[in-house]
Formats: sequence, C-alpha cells, structure tokens
Amino acid sequence: MSDTIFQIKQLKKHYEINLGLFKKPKIIKAVDSISFEVKKGEILSIVGESGCGKSTTAKMILKIEEPTGGEILFEGADITKLSGSDLVAYRKKVQIIFQDPYSSLNPRWKVGRIIAEPLALNSDMSKGEIKERVLYLMERVGMLPEWYDRYPHQFSGGQRQRIGIARALALNPEIIICDEPVSALDVSIQAQVLNLLLDLQEEFNLTYIFISHDLSVVNHISDRIIVMYYGKIVEMKPAEALFQNPEHDYTQKLLSAIPKIDL
Amino acid sequence: MNLIEVKNLKTYFFSDEGEVNKAVNNVSFEIPQGKTVCIVGESGSGKSITAMSIMQLIDHPGRIVGGEIILEESNLLKLSDAQMRKVRGRDVAMIFQEPMTSLNPSYTVGYQIDEALRLHHKELNKQQRFDKVVEALDLVGIPDPKEKYGEYPFKLSGGQRQRVMIAIAMACEPKLLIADEPTTALDVTIQAQVLDLMKKLQDETGTSILFITHDLAVVYQIADEVVVMYRGHIVEKASAKELFENPKHPYTKALLNSIPKPGVTPRKSRLDTVDDTVDYLSFPKEIR
Repeated sequence: MSDTIFQIKQLKKHYEINLGLFKKPKIIKAVDSISFEVKKGEILSIVGESGCGKSTTAKMILKIEEPTGGEILFEGADITKLSGSDLVAYRKKVQIIFQDPYSSLNPRWKVGRIIAEPLALNSDMSKGEIKERVLYLMERVGMLPEWYDRYPHQFSGGQRQRIGIARALALNPEIIICDEPVSALDVSIQAQVLNLLLDLQEEFNLTYIFISHDLSVVNHISDRIIVMYYGKIVEMKPAEALFQNPEHDYTQKLLSAIPKIDL
Repeated sequence: MNLIEVKNLKTYFFSDEGEVNKAVNNVSFEIPQGKTVCIVGESGSGKSITAMSIMQLIDHPGRIVGGEIILEESNLLKLSDAQMRKVRGRDVAMIFQEPMTSLNPSYTVGYQIDEALRLHHKELNKQQRFDKVVEALDLVGIPDPKEKYGEYPFKLSGGQRQRVMIAIAMACEPKLLIADEPTTALDVTIQAQVLDLMKKLQDETGTSILFITHDLAVVYQIADEVVVMYRGHIVEKASAKELFENPKHPYTKALLNSIPKPGVTPRKSRLDTVDDTVDYLSFPKEIR
C-alpha cells in the first residue's frame, strides 16, 4: 500500500530483571506483540498510563531501543536491519520532539547552534546556507530572528518547545514523533504549541505519531488513536469512534476518569 | 463561616540588584469552613507563593511584606516562629506535587506519618500513635495498612505515595489542607482516585481545602469557590458554578477557551490562545 509509511508487526520489547544468582530472571514485557500501521499524513496517537509501553514503542521506531522481536517496516524495509548509510538516511526522515523542553536543549549552546546541529551533521550545506535555513525554521515556528543568539534559559517553556520543534523540522523529516510535547506546558501555552503543530503538519505534509496521556488533547488533534495497556494494544480506532463508542473496559475506564467541563 | 481570611497579602522577592518581583500583590480571599477553594493560574502567576505564604514557608530572597492571614481570629503573620511551628502540621497541613520526592526515602511510611503525631500530640503513647497511623493509612485507602507501616516509599506506586502524603497531612486532622498540584504528576485514572479521596476525607472530617492547580477541568470537578490569579493579582473570584457558566474577566475567558472541549471544539480546529500582547491587568477585576 502506497500510503502506509510504517507497518509494525508483532513488535516486542522484553526486559530481563535478575532476581539473584540462582533464581530465574523475571521477564517484563514492556511491549508485547503489538501490530499497527501508520498512514502518510495522519496524526496517530498512542495513549495509555505510565508504564504501558507507549514510549518504549516510540524509542524502537526511532532505533534508540532494539526490539526483542517483530518487525518495523518503513516504506517496505525492516528498520531493525538497517545499517550504514541506509540508517543515516532513515534517521533523517524520522525526528522527535521531546516532552521536557528544559532538559532536551543544551544550556550552553545558543538557539542558532541548537537548531543547526542536525544540518551540520547530516547535510553538506555551507555555513551561510545553514544560517539561512535556521532563520527560516525559526520564522516558521514563530520565533523572532533576533533570538538566534540567545541561550535556552532566556526563554519560557513554550518558546523552548518551539526551539525543539524547529530542530526536529531542520532535515525535512517525513515523520515526527511527538513524545508528550505539551504535557510540561501551561494550558494557554499548550494551545499555542498544538496550533503550531497542526499548522506545520499541513504546511509540510507531515505525519505525526503523538504520544500522550492527555485524552482531551489527543481527541482534539488525532485522526486515529491506539490505546495501550500493559504492553498490549487494547483498542485502535478513528478518534471520533473511540470517544463515542469505547469498547474495551480499560478504554471506558480511562475515558470516564478524565475530568470534564460540561456546561 | 470563614476558616481563613487572607487580606491584602503581599509577598515580594528581592534580587541583589535591587529589583523587586511582586509575586503576590495585594491578594485577598476567604476559605469557608468545610469548603474547597481552588486557585488557578499559569506558572508564575503567584498561586504557589500564595499557598506557601499561608504556611509561612517563604525563604530568602522572598518576604511577606504586608497583609493579614486570619485563622480563627488570630493573625498568622503576627505569630512567633515557635507558635507558627505548632500551627503547621496541626492546624494547616500541606501536600505537594511530587510524591516521588516529598517523602524521605530512608524512613518507613509509618515513621513519617507518626512524625506529625509525635510533634503535635505528645499526650499519645506509642501504641495509640501506631493505631492512629494505621487508621490514617486505612482512611486513605492503602490496602493492608498494618503491613504497609514498615514499608519504604520506593516500594509504593506514585498514587500510593500521594495517598501516604495525604495520610501524613491528615494525621493531625488539620482545619485546612493545602494541596499544591497534588495530582499533576499522576495518571488520569489515579488522579480521579486521589480527587475522590480528598472529597471523601472532606466530607468525613470537615476540613477546608485550598487546592492549587493549573488544570481547569480539575477545578470544575472539585471546587466550591475559584480564585483566578494572573501575574500576582486576583483577576476573578467567583463560585465555581458562576465562573464556569459565566466567566467575566477576559483572562478567564481566554483560559477557558484555550482548552479543547470534546464534542464542542471541532477536531483539529485552531484553539484560542491567551494573547501575550494583551495586558489583562488593565481590565477591571471581577470579584464576585
């Protein structure tokens, strides 16, 4: 299928915990045989509570963690077997925005250098071209050009998240994994960053894998939603259907737990 | 009947360069007996500093420079340090956001709940205190409270740790419980349990609650009265019902409109935002 970017088949990540010399190690099944597809141009959200395996799944897609079993097919090729220049090419196409805009930016680097780093490492652009591209990216994410020479500590949480987003966009990726990108931000700033993510998705025809535990945010931006519980997918549906007709017990429990304002 | 009246509270922070940050600037509100008052606001609005001022836990370079905090006819700001130490934990108790860091990892859960009783209830003997601790653990819904007495915090989940924090706070049956973002670090299902627990405890003990949060949906669930803070000032104060049905201040309106409402806000529509360029303090305050 041409519009499928990722095909994830029977993906597993198990961790062994040693309990002692003569005891059998305990196996934690962080991700336990999950399968799903990611279609081009969609926003696919993965929701679940801490420890459900949603971040581990994202890490395996990014090749930060090696799966214990299963396949991750990206445009038909299994990424777990990639190496050398193929791997470099893959990494350019898949980027991430982190949750915490405080610890994910180097405090000793200026904004310009932070956003330029992926370009300096992965492209053969000249210094002048890189600076031009960085300024363009800053403009796209709503930052002023005079902020080029500032340090991260001079910005608020929401502005820092914009720096992280500009860095993720630098190499023209196809997919951005957003790992709880707004959960560390104030409500009013959350709205700004969500609007920005939606604008950028349309403008650059991006695909997002959006990881979150905030169901009202997820409901607002997603095309499809995956609900994970103890390493397994318990429900996978278009956003609207999931919220109107949750079938699995756990999904129902999760939805009823969200504090709602209904007037 | 008001349990606490905060009148014209001013808490400022002084930098070495002589700058003054008016973190809490002339704030007045009341906490009625047995009711829940929520302070909402963004980071830096002064909501936590207001709570810390009631506990008088403001450290250098901050200082409470003016106002009154009246708890049952005595002004807490006039008390000596020794008198204030008796108020903390006994009359006013506090729980914090991070259940992972606010418990001491090297003492058992029971010992840490017992600490408040040792300090404030010297008339109780060891056995009576043990019974009270077990009762407190039971009250907050920890299973097998007797066995859990000797457990260390690392063995408990985040939700259970927050329950232990609540047990510590409730051990001396305080008149006021201050909760500073107690559920922000928890999963939604656990958050729902903790909020239910706080409501239940309030019904049983008649404690007043001052609840600090930035989550308006949580406010809607638990508040009787709401105080909206913005840059050190109260911009709107109303009963929860009035505030959500008919928000009057432009800042409150902007804040309410910035959260997506399932079923109402069209999916993927751009959300309203709080406008950085507007000085919301220029609008009249809406104190109801």
